[in-house]
Amino acid sequence: MTVESAGGPPGIGEELLLRRRFGGADIPRLRVLVESCAALSGLPEPRRGEFVVAMDAVAGNVVQHAGGHGLLELTRTGKELECRITDRGPGFSEDVIPDLAPGLDGASRGRGLWLTRLITDRFAVVSGPAGSTVTFAMSLR
Amino acid sequence: MGVLADDEHHPGTLPVQRMGPGHHAFLCYDDDAPGWDVLAAFVWSGLARGEKVIVFGPPRLTETQVRSRLQGAHALLAASGYERAQLELSSMRELILPDRRFTADRQWQRIVEESGAARAEGYTGLRTYIDMGWVADLGADLDMMMDRERRAGHLFADGFYSEVCAYDRRSFPEPVLRAMGRAHPENLLPRLGHLRCRHGAGTLHVIGEADLATHGQFTRALAALLRGPEPPAGPRTVDLLRTGFLGAESATELVLLLGRAPAHRPVRIRCSERHAHLLCRLGADPAALDVTVAG
Repeated sequence: MTVESAGGPPGIGEELLLRRRFGGADIPRLRVLVESCAALSGLPEPRRGEFVVAMDAVAGNVVQHAGGHGLLELTRTGKELECRITDRGPGFSEDVIPDLAPGLDGASRGRGLWLTRLITDRFAVVSGPAGSTVTFAMSLR
Repeated sequence: MGVLADDEHHPGTLPVQRMGPGHHAFLCYDDDAPGWDVLAAFVWSGLARGEKVIVFGPPRLTETQVRSRLQGAHALLAASGYERAQLELSSMRELILPDRRFTADRQWQRIVEESGAARAEGYTGLRTYIDMGWVADLGADLDMMMDRERRAGHLFADGFYSEVCAYDRRSFPEPVLRAMGRAHPENLLPRLGHLRCRHGAGTLHVIGEADLATHGQFTRALAALLRGPEPPAGPRTVDLLRTGFLGAESATELVLLLGRAPAHRPVRIRCSERHAHLLCRLGADPAALDVTVAG
């Protein structure tokens, strides 16, 4: 897990809390760090736990399907805690995420992303030739 | 980390994420699992909880070397509002000053003083990480150290103070490590991302992290629970009270298990509110969950 930077405002009203490159072995540490930042940002339970589950699911998707490595950026605004995870994989669109609970109706692919979209307040996937960026956020209010 | 002969069944085994105020935990490390991720997680979690954190690192390392292992702490300190004073790096040699010879009484007195100071400064607790390399550094007697560890319970009685005692496996005889493992109410898993599934009397205890990396081990343990003999009393149970992380995939497996169990042989899940919330999101019947508030 490589330290890129921490602290400092990347934009007006925003504070970059974490910026980390990661591979599969880094995800357990990343979970603890993201949870700690979420606690200090005022995200209450049980949403804090869900935020970490969402982060783990998206990062795990990068490790399994998008080249094994990614970049996580955690940002706090006045209203939200936002997590952005970027990879250099083949790219995908939100259309591949099933509408029904996957695995509960037979399929197993996409459970994590399905759950992330369900439990977060904002969720978006942007893909291009260089890879994908999944962004999700939860309200701090 | 090499597994000690008898630590697999210590009743207080838990992941570092489950460390809380009042815990007195044993950690054993070596080249395979040097324990730095456990230390970092212990520090990060303490900072996030608003606790004062003091790290008594290995005497052979400089403060700069120890601080470099705590990547991320500076970001949390910046966010906590306490800034640098919340995290201190120190040594046992420094703690007991002006005394130069270690005694349990002197160390306890200083810890009580540090707890009082942390309380007065508004922290929610005091947690310390003590690398037991201080024993050799101060030329202390092993028997005295072991006696200290066995009689330290009073420090934790009011639920403000918590402590990890980290033993370098290469520096202590195996019988001492075994005795110290037993003497501590809590034993920490040796690394983050580790999962230990323990079966007993119709209950599966899921200790550690059930994530993508440990998913195969987790699903095999669930299958073994269903295949295993009937419990002597009551339903089969999956106990998540010492689960440090439950990921989406593993939570889904649990929901499927609830649905798969035959009506005459039901399965129940013993869990925290956090895990219950996640399981219900995935469709679990709340009636199948035994939720423990403190879990």
